[in-house]
Amino acid sequence: MDILMQLLMSGIALGMIYAVIAFGYQSTFATSGTLNFGQGEALMLGAMVGLSINGDVLGGPYTNYWLMIPLVLLFGALQGVVVEFIAVRPAIKSKSEFGWIMSTIALGIIFRNVAENIWGRDDMPFPSPLPTAPIHILDANVLPMELMVVVGALLMMLLVELFNRRSIYGKAVVATSSDRDAAGLMGINTGLVITFSYALSSMSAAFAGVLIAPITLTGASMGAVLGLKAFAVAIIGGLTSGLGVIVGGILLGIAETTTGFYLSTGYKDVPGLVLLLLVLAIKPSGLFGKTTIKKV
Amino acid sequence: MLEIHDLKAAYGQVQVLHGISLNVPQGQVVTLIGSNGAGKTTTMRAVSGMLKPSAGRIMLGSKDITGLPAHRIAKIGLAHSPEGRRVFPTQSVRDNLLLGAFTRLTLGGKRPRGDIQGDLEKALDLFPRLRERQHQLAGTLSGGEQQMLAMARALMLKPEVLLLDEPSMGLAPILVDEVFHIIGRLKEQGITMLLVEQFAAAALGVADYGYVMENGRIAVHGPATQLRNDPKVQAAYLGGSASH
Repeated sequence: MDILMQLLMSGIALGMIYAVIAFGYQSTFATSGTLNFGQGEALMLGAMVGLSINGDVLGGPYTNYWLMIPLVLLFGALQGVVVEFIAVRPAIKSKSEFGWIMSTIALGIIFRNVAENIWGRDDMPFPSPLPTAPIHILDANVLPMELMVVVGALLMMLLVELFNRRSIYGKAVVATSSDRDAAGLMGINTGLVITFSYALSSMSAAFAGVLIAPITLTGASMGAVLGLKAFAVAIIGGLTSGLGVIVGGILLGIAETTTGFYLSTGYKDVPGLVLLLLVLAIKPSGLFGKTTIKKV
Repeated sequence: MLEIHDLKAAYGQVQVLHGISLNVPQGQVVTLIGSNGAGKTTTMRAVSGMLKPSAGRIMLGSKDITGLPAHRIAKIGLAHSPEGRRVFPTQSVRDNLLLGAFTRLTLGGKRPRGDIQGDLEKALDLFPRLRERQHQLAGTLSGGEQQMLAMARALMLKPEVLLLDEPSMGLAPILVDEVFHIIGRLKEQGITMLLVEQFAAAALGVADYGYVMENGRIAVHGPATQLRNDPKVQAAYLGGSASH
């Protein structure tokens, strides 16, 4: 077994999780210029709800992993609508430039407290829907669930991209992202588009939650660090680039696994954050981000 | 068809419109002329819902549209080709046109659906340059082509009233002629239009009726032929008519 190959593979799987969460950040930033800083909590809630449906924590299991996924996606979307309605819409209405930052953070903390009270503070294992015996790919041992993470993440982003390009509603979302006023003139209810983007954002996070939960542990505190790292990924890749979050996520994932092995697990978060600082200093719009040029 | 009564609007504390009244009858072209900063674009923005008026009443047909959000006004049948074109740069010319028909394509859109493909073909016939470029991204078009796209996109709504804000802005003289030629053809088709223009002579040439704005008020108004011969209007806006 080639250890470097092993680290790369694990890094990619981890990176794709970051990419899915970062994709959620992008979706709301594009339509409204705002972000849900409770993204990590949206992920945690998705995983906890998934565990409650699929595991035995709240009298379950009620159904299997695969039927649980659409339920969790629905839950995530609704949770996103709640976040937009309570924390973001008032800030946008009052044209408050920074109000949404504090209110999304506050709401995130409330969600975490609620989760601690419902599910407790301990981390719990999440039953894996796939065999836990690793398979051998390119000299590395890969868990079937890790493959599922990569496939699921790419599939989700592909579906959203197709929706944006093919359907008139998706085109309306893209139009709202590029020019909200002009989109309004087309008859597009841009407020509703922003609500939709929050639903999509939390749905992505909830999906990431049930993808990663069988590999790690599930608990009320699982979201905070993931949400923060995914934010770093969104900045590194660029808040406007779909490809950027995939590349950024994989970069950060691999940086973590390799540092964890070659240096020390205590330092595993450092290279990614150094990369973040470098990107902010050298190319603030992100590796793949376009600098916005305003034409008059 | 479009009646504006004592419309007032402000940007923050700065009052820009001090009570505008004007009337765009069905099937006619009405132009709003005046110098920079007179409030022409603000009037358009207040009518289409991009800006909330602070007072006054705007009627579109029998419906009161005062203060409604832009997307609801669009559904009632007002299309606005805004100043600066505002095409969607990352989407194809064809997608931009389909977005123009958004209120006809979607549930709850309320506008009659009609023959969207047919209307798209008609728009591409009216603007042959757009047909050649229909699969290109709108951001890659030249300024003149983007202007044509903005007009075609507004037409895709099949509006009761079409607002055109500075369609000639920043265009080469030959394209300005083309734009006015197209406005003439739209008029022949019976489309009701409110036209804001810097090229006052050309605008009064195509319009039935004109309003002259000064400092947020209507200074003079009358039939276009009459305004063209008005010495004061000539001196202030058609001066030397070197512009056109």
